[in-house]
Amino acid sequence: MRIPRSTRGLAAAAVLALAVTACASEKATGGGGSGAAASADGVKTGPGVTADAITIGMITDLTGPYASFGKSLTNAQQLYFEQVNQAGGICGRKLESIVRDHGYDVQKAVAAYTEIGPKSVALAHVVGSPMVNAVKQRIETDQMLTIPQAWATHLLGSKPIQVTGTTYDIDMINGVEYLVKEKGVKSGDSIGHLYFEGDYGETALNGSKFAADKLGLKLVEQKIKATDQDMTAQVAAFKKAGVKAILVSVGPRQTASLVGVALAGGMKVPFLGSNSAYSPQLLPTPAGPALLAAFEYVTAGAPMSSDLPAIKKLGEDYKAKYPGDAVDSGVSAGYTAAGIVVDALKKACEGKDLTRAGVVAAHRGQNAWGEQYGGVMDFTVFDKPASLRSYVVKPDKEALGGAVVVKEPFTADIVKDYQVPSGG
Amino acid sequence: MSRIVTPLWWVLVAAGVVVAPFYLDGIWLQDGLFAMAAAIGAIGLNLLTGATGQLSMGHAFFLAVGAFGYVYFASAPSGDGELDGLGLPTPLAAVLAVLLAGVAGGLFSPIAGRLKGAYLGIATLALIFIGHFAMSNATPVTGGHNGRPVPPMELFGFAFTDTPEPLVIAGVPFGALERLWFLGVVLLVGAGLFARGVLRGRPGRAMNTIRDHEIAAGVMGVPVTRYRAGVFVLSSMYGGLAGVLIALVFRQTVPDYFGLILALSYLAMIIIGGLGSVAGAVIGAFFVSMLPSLFTRYSDALPLVAPTGQEGIGAAEAAQILYGLAVVVVVLFLPGGLFGLFTKARLRLARRSAPAAPVKHALTPTPETRN
Repeated sequence: MRIPRSTRGLAAAAVLALAVTACASEKATGGGGSGAAASADGVKTGPGVTADAITIGMITDLTGPYASFGKSLTNAQQLYFEQVNQAGGICGRKLESIVRDHGYDVQKAVAAYTEIGPKSVALAHVVGSPMVNAVKQRIETDQMLTIPQAWATHLLGSKPIQVTGTTYDIDMINGVEYLVKEKGVKSGDSIGHLYFEGDYGETALNGSKFAADKLGLKLVEQKIKATDQDMTAQVAAFKKAGVKAILVSVGPRQTASLVGVALAGGMKVPFLGSNSAYSPQLLPTPAGPALLAAFEYVTAGAPMSSDLPAIKKLGEDYKAKYPGDAVDSGVSAGYTAAGIVVDALKKACEGKDLTRAGVVAAHRGQNAWGEQYGGVMDFTVFDKPASLRSYVVKPDKEALGGAVVVKEPFTADIVKDYQVPSGG
Repeated sequence: MSRIVTPLWWVLVAAGVVVAPFYLDGIWLQDGLFAMAAAIGAIGLNLLTGATGQLSMGHAFFLAVGAFGYVYFASAPSGDGELDGLGLPTPLAAVLAVLLAGVAGGLFSPIAGRLKGAYLGIATLALIFIGHFAMSNATPVTGGHNGRPVPPMELFGFAFTDTPEPLVIAGVPFGALERLWFLGVVLLVGAGLFARGVLRGRPGRAMNTIRDHEIAAGVMGVPVTRYRAGVFVLSSMYGGLAGVLIALVFRQTVPDYFGLILALSYLAMIIIGGLGSVAGAVIGAFFVSMLPSLFTRYSDALPLVAPTGQEGIGAAEAAQILYGLAVVVVVLFLPGGLFGLFTKARLRLARRSAPAAPVKHALTPTPETRN
């Protein structure tokens, strides 16, 4: 039996009619578009804010290379939101979080943003600078306050994106000056810099190049890929160049290989890392003793072992809530980032404007935030790092978080001449 | 029986496709678009690997050529001289990007024509590493590590983008994803029909003969080397088209995406879907690219699985385990892939109602002839 042509045409017409009458769809908004509205209490609200809840997104890494860091970040931020809720929430609304894992895969991060972006008022953290980059345009269109957990300079220059603390280059400038002033490196000496290709390493390299030039040092560069594991060749190159100190802007695993191989080969020089070069998980490994002996790192955030009352309390609360989990730098980084978002929301609530743009504007109105966490940040400018002060920290087996402060936060004298390149 | 069922079936599918953007959330549309792009790429790879028996591990490279080619041709050079571009009209840029991927495949074809099977696989592996190096270092063209924004496609004055004010059809705002959905459907249908034509015609028979018995093909007068090289070029053009669509969905090209994992997942798609046929490639592409995200989104409804970000086995871990399990089950129990399962079921139905029609010509390789 054949279907008459007319029947087929009728079927097609029916299909089209069905499509056009899709008004019953939940997506149908009647063409309102922007979605901003004032709720009963006179507060302007937008996506992510209802009459009794505020939704905050997190795009994190729970299955990829930064899984332990991502887990600490997520735990710490949920702890913070819980504490805020116990104290009554914000604007009479409870904070809710939605978490999505990207496993350090850009496509999954883009998918996660498409999924939770429309439901969130802000993103309390996004792990990984390639992932932030992939959704940067949309963050700017949506005016979504976003705290990236990455410190490369090209993330600067975007109004809704708030890089916390210093960028890697500022850390390196401070670090090189520290080497000269306190570790016996003299003008005319060579220093080495081991770094990852990509924005992390290249941002750090910008800083070390500038500082080496200013302080009359010779910089010996060694670039590696994130997949490289064995640093024997790099150690040999540094040894041949006779370097007096080595800067380290790679992952924890590469740091362990570098420091371990160098010390085993009798290289007695100080190693100074970026904040992403170290993880307390390295200490029980065979490289642990070498790291304890010769490695320090530069960071804007106070380590978990710090005496600051806010950090001490965080350590206790975190251990009470997540007794089985290791404490690492993700805990304080996540908690601080959650604090930034919550304070922006509180300010926005005072201004009766909880739309995304309102939250970003409230956030950008603060110029001295975070005294209690050991580093004051200025959020009013977004083409410069929020802070120029770094701690020097060294690994310690006994301390909470596996690190203790060596030098309280300082800013190198030469930083003021440094032009921060921003991503625009 | 099938005369009524088949057209009805197609009408239903077409209706579903047209209605989808009116009801589905952005995330579904985006997953669907990624799957459509993957399906186009997988069809191309299936022509090469499934139909001709040539293994390629470098498919991701041609996707990258298509994506970055489109961005380069369509972008205007940036003011500060950091990024170059030609600023061509976007449809022309897309066509040129596909041709560029073909040229890249053509440059490789002296190798692709002479090597076969696993040897070609190893040779194409090199493309991934060359591609990664080029993408990271040719900053004026690719934007280096950070990639660069993708200019939205514009056809006859109609832009596939969110801004300015969204177009509203039947009360549903049509943003970039809804608009791209239809572009993706058109491209996928076109790509599928073309490949079907190739497979069912003379070239398809020649390709299958090369796969099943190279010497026999040569004896019958099939120019083996030329065919191998030609199929390689065709499959790289499919890769290029998939790359253009992926770039449009991403809205920012990201070099790290086009790596070895992507190339392997394309191989997984055609094996899971079914080697040698268009439908197999499409089914496999949807399976591989949508299953993990479905699991991630819904696995917290399963017992013993905690919502993402809380204690216990998280949804993300569960998604990976389930996905791995699904792949193993398909490969172990369905030698013809998911498409083979459909064909088997249909044959069984047909046999019940009518005597089996003689099998004309096997598009899919039998296990004995598979490389």
